[in-house]
Amino acid sequence: MNGSIGVYVCECGPNIKDRIDIDKVIEEISSKEDIKTIKRFSLLCSNDGKKFLEDDIKKEELTHVVVAACSPKDHEKTFMNVCGKAGVNPYLFQLINIREQCAWMIPDKEEATSKAIKYIRAGIHRVVLHNPLEKIEIESNPDVLVIGGGISGLEASLSLAGKERKVFLVEKTESLGGMAKKLSQLLPHQGANLSTIEEKIKQTEKDENIEVFTSTEVTDVKGFLGNFEVSLKADGGNGEEQKIKVGAIVVATGFRLFDPKEKPQYGYGKIENVITALEFEDMIESGKILLKNEKPPKSVALINCVGRDDKGYCSKVCCLYSIKFAHHLKDKLSDVEVTDFYIDLCLPHKDDQNYYEEAKKKGIHFLRTGEVKIEEKGGKIEVRYKKDGKSESISVDMAVLAPAMVPGEDTSKLAEMLNIPVDKTGFFKEVHEILDPISTPIEGVYIAGCALGPKNIPESIVQSQAISGKILSSLIPGKKIEPEVKVSVIREEFCTGCQTCLSVCFYGAISFDSFKGVSVVNEAICRGCGSCVGSCPSGAIWSKHFTYPQLYQEVLAALK
Amino acid sequence: MKKKDVLVIGAGIAGMKASLMLADAGVNVHLIEKESLIGGQTIKFEEVYPNMECATCMVAPIQQDVLQNENIELFLLSEVQKVDGSAGNFKVKVSKKASYVNPDACIGCGACYEPCPVSLDNEFEEGLSQKKAIAIACPGALPNVPAIDPEYCLHLNGKKKECKACQEACVFNAIDFTDKDKTIDLEVGAILVATGFDMFDLGSLDQLGYGKFPNVYTAMEFERLYAQNGPTEGKLILRDNKDLKSIGIIHCAGREEQGYCSGVCCINSMKFSYFLKHRISDAQICQFYKDLCIPGKTHQKFYEDIKKKGVEFSYYQNIKVESKKGSLHIDYKNGNGKQESFSADMVILSPAMIPRKETEQLAKILGIGLDESGFFATQNEQLSPITTEKEGIFITGCAEGPKDIPESIAQAEAAAGKILSSF
Repeated sequence: MNGSIGVYVCECGPNIKDRIDIDKVIEEISSKEDIKTIKRFSLLCSNDGKKFLEDDIKKEELTHVVVAACSPKDHEKTFMNVCGKAGVNPYLFQLINIREQCAWMIPDKEEATSKAIKYIRAGIHRVVLHNPLEKIEIESNPDVLVIGGGISGLEASLSLAGKERKVFLVEKTESLGGMAKKLSQLLPHQGANLSTIEEKIKQTEKDENIEVFTSTEVTDVKGFLGNFEVSLKADGGNGEEQKIKVGAIVVATGFRLFDPKEKPQYGYGKIENVITALEFEDMIESGKILLKNEKPPKSVALINCVGRDDKGYCSKVCCLYSIKFAHHLKDKLSDVEVTDFYIDLCLPHKDDQNYYEEAKKKGIHFLRTGEVKIEEKGGKIEVRYKKDGKSESISVDMAVLAPAMVPGEDTSKLAEMLNIPVDKTGFFKEVHEILDPISTPIEGVYIAGCALGPKNIPESIVQSQAISGKILSSLIPGKKIEPEVKVSVIREEFCTGCQTCLSVCFYGAISFDSFKGVSVVNEAICRGCGSCVGSCPSGAIWSKHFTYPQLYQEVLAALK
Repeated sequence: MKKKDVLVIGAGIAGMKASLMLADAGVNVHLIEKESLIGGQTIKFEEVYPNMECATCMVAPIQQDVLQNENIELFLLSEVQKVDGSAGNFKVKVSKKASYVNPDACIGCGACYEPCPVSLDNEFEEGLSQKKAIAIACPGALPNVPAIDPEYCLHLNGKKKECKACQEACVFNAIDFTDKDKTIDLEVGAILVATGFDMFDLGSLDQLGYGKFPNVYTAMEFERLYAQNGPTEGKLILRDNKDLKSIGIIHCAGREEQGYCSGVCCINSMKFSYFLKHRISDAQICQFYKDLCIPGKTHQKFYEDIKKKGVEFSYYQNIKVESKKGSLHIDYKNGNGKQESFSADMVILSPAMIPRKETEQLAKILGIGLDESGFFATQNEQLSPITTEKEGIFITGCAEGPKDIPESIAQAEAAAGKILSSF
């Protein structure tokens, strides 16, 4: 056997000592295995224990170390650090869990001891095949590309740009501000007025560390965290190509509104004075809430959930802005009758319900119904609905539809370019819905705001700030990045070029070299999950710390 | 000189995520936690929507990262006492209660629990089980180090000075009865508040029968009842051991009293139905709601799937829980205005999320205001739900108002981002 292996058995106080016959373990292993030394210690993770381990590794001049103790979750890092200090590569080490997997779960001492011996034997046969792995460092570019100049993109740009970090803000249309700029006013309890947004646009335009590209599209993205190369095309994608280099990418491409024409029952586009929420925002903005005949409406129906059933989700913000419209109508046209048709009132913020109660006090009618149908009758609009199981209707001058929020039109194109997933609703998909709602599987690519799904303005801003946090803590100017070392390797001579591995790689770390006809792993992106290893029909992919010979010998020794 | 250290108050999911992000950027974080364990409310959940992942398992790696991170100094059993100064130069006084267990010596073997002669209600388990005067909150609690409750410990409260049962059982000499409460002085540049929420006191709603009828449970009690690491190891054993065949889940308990919708209870209640249908396939389940507030992009699909599994949903007004002939009855007015009744073996109430009781006190110490609902006030007019009137102090997660886990995490990371870009 090559090298000098040392085995250390931790007593873990009484936890291992009382339930496993350590003397028998030592006798069995030292008599049957080719090792330099085997020793026991009362508590290896204690300061005394770590000191003992470090000194003994040096004294015995070991090349490989096996520790039989607790779960790797508890102390794998601890002992890897000790190995490093003692001059042994931390990957020439194996921790065997004889506490949780033997001592604590097998009541019979003899049985527990025999299992511990098998485990330790397996570890010895595995560790001898370990390769020393070294951390690599890659230069990284701290600059950031922000795609989308709406409220999320503006916030991300402003919080990221600084002396040592440049931001490239790319906007498809000719001006910054996005959807928020189309609104007449913000919700009074969520922010006083739109000047905050105007202010952010001005700040962005004059910030010397932010370069703004309007009427520009992203046409290609290559590379990985710290080293992306991005192609931009001006004039709506028809102009000259320009290449920029960035370390991270923020996607803040926003949303569109569901087209009510897809649902003929609402009569949009056919019946006069049936308008969308955005059209009503324009009326508020211009100060003229007028019917087609230039007269102010005497009665208005606000229709929520337009397209909710078709899209399969609630857009969260529509109930609230319909209530905003109701307030506005009552404030401007005091004798107007306003009826708000809803299926469920979705008012999830702590200040929302109060806003609704105030609307009721102003005399606005709220009608809980199923879907409604709009027809024209005698030059007026008839809204048909069901209440308490009975069909009813009211006649109004104007109907304002609140359509669902749907994914931006470039979502799938961008997703393909960036190699990130979209979900069943067509919005970008977060890497983990709960723990990491702003990251994607591709390190260094983040999503903010409504590009991920419907949300309100403060929530979109918060997501952008959270992304800033991610970038500020991971892409520090002047600091190199250290990718995972336990990555996959492709043995070219065995690769048949079937490309199965490309389809299973969650992180986009594998590409295909069509000249050589083989798959290639980018070690800077690979996280060592092993999916490609298992999927490769020719066994051409190995995981650096889980090679087939290592696993084979480990299993063989355990079963012996 | 401006301080680059940060004080994070509360080691729930928001506090932990913010601490890790700051620590990754090289900032020294002082993380203050009132309890003897970290993880907050999230670790009480057996599973969380949408993937029905076990929350305890999902959060454990984050807890481990916090415990092992060299840039994070954790103070358990600690509370902020006094804050002076301003952004860049806060002077903070923290009071830390004695735990009587040396965390460097303890390996978490648990040999000390059994010999302890005192039992008390386990608050972490919503009082559904008992724990010893020396204990960890539940199996898997992190750090895996117990603390002694000095009020109940016979040695420490003086009722039986000679009792040293735990000390005698500990072979690692980790029990230290001489441990003292301490005051710690810190200097930090910014303060991040992540103190979370409490649940509405259902005892105040007489008509819902909580505390009156044994088989009326709060949502949090039900979470622990079906948790594998909970008091019944996940077995659905009712307080009176009755068979469980029909369940009524009542939404919006306390919504009217609080004046707001908590935004997360609808989907959480649906999660209960999903679980119950999974466990007792022929169970009759009805959810009584006022408005279905399910704004996530995948929530509605989940609702429809649950309806397909046979879970009923009924709109309600004027609801009342009664006990007739040993069985619970939910009397209510339905969506068509008709009076109806549903007979249930178990009733689960989904209470509103409310500000933690220490909120007012802490706001005073920090010199910041409260909003109308009693949560910490933030600068809405700036479109920023995380900054406060006082520069350098940030509010995140449910300390700012009811929200779900991803939103709490986004706010925590946003505050960390704000702090990093200001340094």
